[in-house]
Amino acid sequence: MNKKIPALALALTMTASLAACGGNNGGTASTPAPAGSTAPAGQQSDLKVGVFYYNFADAYISTVRSAMDAQLDGLGVTYQNFDAQTNQGEQTNQVNTAITDGYNLLIVNVVENASPDAAQNMADAAKAAGIPIIFFNRDFDASVIQSYDQSAFVGTDPAEAGHMQGQAIGEYLVENYDAVDLNGDGKISYVMFKGQEGNPEAEMRTQYGVEDANTVLEAAGKPDLEFYDAQNEKKYLVDQTGAWSSQAATDYMNTILGQYNDGNNNMVELVIANNDGMAEGAISALQQAGYNQPGSDKVIPVYGVDAMASAVEKIDEGIMAGTVKQDGEAMAATIATLVQNVKDGAALMDNTDQYVVDSDAAKIRVPYAMYTK
Amino acid sequence: MSNESKELAANAKRFDRKTLGDKLMNNALYILMILAVIYIQFFCNSNFLAPASLVNILSQTAAYLPAALGIAGCIVLTGTDLSAGRCVGLTACISASLLQKVGSASKMWTNIGTLPVPVVILIVVLIGALVGAFNGFFVAKFKLHPFIVTLGTQLILYTCLLLYVQQGNNGGMAISSLDPSYTDFIKGSFVSVPTGNGTSTPIPNFVWFAILLTALMWFIWNKTTFGKNMFALGSNEEAARVSGVNVFATTIMVFALAGAMYGWTGFVEGARIGSNTANTGFNYELDAIAACVIGGVSFVGGIGKIRGIVIGVLLLRLIFVGLNMAHVSQDLIYLVKGGIILFACALDMRKYLVKK
Repeated sequence: MNKKIPALALALTMTASLAACGGNNGGTASTPAPAGSTAPAGQQSDLKVGVFYYNFADAYISTVRSAMDAQLDGLGVTYQNFDAQTNQGEQTNQVNTAITDGYNLLIVNVVENASPDAAQNMADAAKAAGIPIIFFNRDFDASVIQSYDQSAFVGTDPAEAGHMQGQAIGEYLVENYDAVDLNGDGKISYVMFKGQEGNPEAEMRTQYGVEDANTVLEAAGKPDLEFYDAQNEKKYLVDQTGAWSSQAATDYMNTILGQYNDGNNNMVELVIANNDGMAEGAISALQQAGYNQPGSDKVIPVYGVDAMASAVEKIDEGIMAGTVKQDGEAMAATIATLVQNVKDGAALMDNTDQYVVDSDAAKIRVPYAMYTK
Repeated sequence: MSNESKELAANAKRFDRKTLGDKLMNNALYILMILAVIYIQFFCNSNFLAPASLVNILSQTAAYLPAALGIAGCIVLTGTDLSAGRCVGLTACISASLLQKVGSASKMWTNIGTLPVPVVILIVVLIGALVGAFNGFFVAKFKLHPFIVTLGTQLILYTCLLLYVQQGNNGGMAISSLDPSYTDFIKGSFVSVPTGNGTSTPIPNFVWFAILLTALMWFIWNKTTFGKNMFALGSNEEAARVSGVNVFATTIMVFALAGAMYGWTGFVEGARIGSNTANTGFNYELDAIAACVIGGVSFVGGIGKIRGIVIGVLLLRLIFVGLNMAHVSQDLIYLVKGGIILFACALDMRKYLVKK
């Protein structure tokens, strides 16, 4: 067999894929800024920015990426997006390669944030090369930011989404207690879907989503929420793949409904999820069992986080109870402020007076907002 | 009794015991499965075999079955298909995006209405079949191992998926807000199982579709020339070639059929999960391959039964639901899955080792 044929085929495939990149305006590939047309300063910056995302497949991160691409295009800088596919080793390699490739600003959505080591490694590498580094979205210990003056973090306060979710749940329940308590046993049984083990955002949403709701319930003289399965000591069901996926929530919810339903008079009366994807997955399973249909009053309240357009629509339709808006646009705009500073040669944290900044480190907190009907 | 006849009798007894032992060993998986079901039902959770729970197990099996039926053909050809999961993801996202509610704020393609359901089925099954045929072409033409080819396709499909969810009005968000014509077609039901207390659990439509597909696949595997050719090719390629099987066409068709099945799975999953991202379908191939090998579709090639695949998928769902209901820590589910896969494959190979 002629060995050239596979080689030729491979070359053709690669050419085709390159052509595809060129044709795509989405900005996933490197974007040489169009000759000064969009840059406000009217001139090409020599800034070469690497943006490192933990996972392109994450729906929320994708919204941040769209917004960030637009912001960076607007600034007229050269940039390249990288996908770590939830693999910290991959991301560390990408960052190190980018440093050797002459990138002079790194924007990193760190993969592994259960411990600060991964972020610390990348901050150290940036420090050694004298390049500023901006972390975003996935939070970690303040010591990393403190260790390098040309580093900053833009994200949310991991506890805040949980607090907001819990508060909203508590208030809703106090108002509609008897309607939610389907079997009339005076207690609300709930299920909690956790996105990932060890992720601070997931941990705190899982903890405060319930704790804060209980605080509100107690203040109103109602009993605490009760996990639907008394034998589950963790009091949550987690996506074992760590992907915060709706599929995990659908499969769990189907299984729960096989055992806990109106027929057995033990229906789960409240669903709390760490993100909108899992909330929507749970709703899909509920719908399959005849609950949460648009226009029906047989609705189990379901709470999520992110305020993705489809979730907001479900809330408006009345088949989802609430979500916490995590503002991807605002996150990208805040990061763009820092990029502008680097571009202008100003200090990294200039022009950030209007933002909420931690007292102990250069960590900017983009606020959450509750969304209910 | 003479010594000789004593010996014969002893031999016969030993032989009986041996065949009995063999029978037990060969069916050990089913026996264990039945024991586990009985144990969970009577000692852990009496809801396990309640009607609502049975419907749940049935519908989860139905959701994961088509992909396994497809991938089984590739395994019969001594191959595998790693691109199944991403293919399911891509077709799920395409199905969902073409069947979103008109006027929804998150509608991906605002300038097309909601397409008719059969058209979308046709589109995604065709896309799946095309992906499969692409795999099959590389396997048949360049004699590449399917592991390599489908590893490549898996990665290529992931790029397609990542780009697709960013198209139109979507910007990478989850594709949701599906039209009722779509969700009713998949999740709606016309038969409900009474669960007592005057309530009932609906059996979702995709269960019936899965049964139809299983029958169709059984027919293709057992009653058509194509099916016979597939098994001939799987057991011995040279022999098949010599006896006039078109190896090239058969390989492509097996992979294309598998791809069509992933397309269907994607169509079902799109509505069943209701929120589709680039993550949808991730790792589906692993469950499907596991189900096949548990069900006795052998990596040796040329061996496998539709019945076995159904049981394999059912067993995996029983593990998921059963361990959940038995309150076993979720961390252990993978241990059980892994153990059963090893056990099943060892049992399977044991049969062939004995023959040799």
